[in-house]
Amino acid sequence: MKAIDARGLACPAPVLQTKSAIEAEQLNAVRIVVDNAAAQQNVKRFLESRGFEIALEKDTRGYHVIGKCDATALIQRETAPAAEAGIAKIMVMIATDRIGYGDDELGLKLMVNFIRTLKEMGPDLWRLVFINNGVKLAVRDSAVIPDLKELEDNGLQILVCGTCLTHFDLLEHKQVGETTNMLDIVTAMQLADKVINI
Amino acid sequence: MEIPTNDRIIVGMDSLDDAGVYQISDDLAIIQTVDFFTPIIDDPYWFGQIAAANALSDVYAMGGIPKTAMNLVGFPLKQMDISILRQIIQGGLDKMKEADVVLIGGHSVEDRELKYGLSVTGFVHPDRILTKKNLSAGDCLVLTKPLGTGVINTAIKGGTASVEVIERVTQLMATLNRDAAEVMLKYRVHACTDITGFGLLGHLAEMIVNAHCGIELNAGNIPILPEAIEYAAMGLLPAGAFKNKAFRESMVEFSPSVNPVLRDLLFDPQTSGGLLICLTREDTDKLIDELNQKGIDEAAVIGNVISAPPGKILVN
Repeated sequence: MKAIDARGLACPAPVLQTKSAIEAEQLNAVRIVVDNAAAQQNVKRFLESRGFEIALEKDTRGYHVIGKCDATALIQRETAPAAEAGIAKIMVMIATDRIGYGDDELGLKLMVNFIRTLKEMGPDLWRLVFINNGVKLAVRDSAVIPDLKELEDNGLQILVCGTCLTHFDLLEHKQVGETTNMLDIVTAMQLADKVINI
Repeated sequence: MEIPTNDRIIVGMDSLDDAGVYQISDDLAIIQTVDFFTPIIDDPYWFGQIAAANALSDVYAMGGIPKTAMNLVGFPLKQMDISILRQIIQGGLDKMKEADVVLIGGHSVEDRELKYGLSVTGFVHPDRILTKKNLSAGDCLVLTKPLGTGVINTAIKGGTASVEVIERVTQLMATLNRDAAEVMLKYRVHACTDITGFGLLGHLAEMIVNAHCGIELNAGNIPILPEAIEYAAMGLLPAGAFKNKAFRESMVEFSPSVNPVLRDLLFDPQTSGGLLICLTREDTDKLIDELNQKGIDEAAVIGNVISAPPGKILVN
């Protein structure tokens, strides 16, 4: 299990340290030690938001957060509600900021139109994932930010590849969605009833 | 510690109020307050505006009109260029101009860490002072600015806040509570405070501690910056939110349906937060309408005063 010592650091540093560790190494088990209860709560909450099961401990070294990400538990948890509601879970994965090859200007227009029309899928649209050049649709100056925000406000989970954002140096410019990692994407694919690749 | 007092002090050290009030004549009292802090955002001009708006707010919350101010400055001369200080003071001055407040002096010291704020003096009629007391069962509670500046300031420190969020929260913190206060004074207001370091629940707790009434909040109606919810769920709450919670948690009862992230956000320490106005139910709709007309769009009725249980805040 990866151990992170974040003692002596003020909020939000322990969370940021945990975040970069699990994103860079795609960890599914991690132990973080901090020196105060507030940081412990924050780290716990962060790991919970990333699908980890949490145990808290306190000893003479400090406050510990132990996080484990169990893939089967994740699947069971995520499958139940959608199945009950009778919804087909469609995952749309977008790996480009333009649709098709040929004229780039046309390709961009088509992509904007595609995203604006996605809402017609209704509740069946379950995850929207942006990877590679696709992440550029979720950052500053993208024409579809308002549309994506509307989808997100209506409960759609939008995942944006953290490695890709970092590669394009766009991490700070993301406007919508949650920064995600390959484990989340692969788990989502496994859970989805249908995956559409663009 | 024994604190001397006299019969002209209407609001003094013994209360939990936002400022002190001293009666000068039958129709005039002065409100005095002081507030300063270390930078919360990188831009010195905007930091100056926020620090000034924050210091002036206590006078508005007491029902008064700020008149004069003095600068308080701590500055690390050896590490920082003096032009930074000039921009901070310019920001403060522009905010004072907007509030029709005159700068009449100040004091600066060399300090390891930059600090800026104001001491402010305002006027109020002795019969129209608003404190944190005098709540009456059936009154409504109105909040004039959305919550979440503490979480977002933590996200800014952590480099995770977007440019748009930083702009939004900067504008919000630099917005004077003057317009809200002017509207409020036209209605039958029983009590008022501004939401700052103790967070919404911390300040509400001050209003009902040792009182014969309690408060019921409708969590769904409380205006909160959407990004604050996102960042709080990511574990970006400032340590102050946990301190506030530990201090006042025993006075609060959450209904099981209230999300744990939201519970903590209600303790989020605010910088230059909105006014929390307690007024008669009959006047509430009119107050909200008029606040909206003044562009205070996010003002909302967040709850009401109840007779029982006394000294408790129920969050539903």
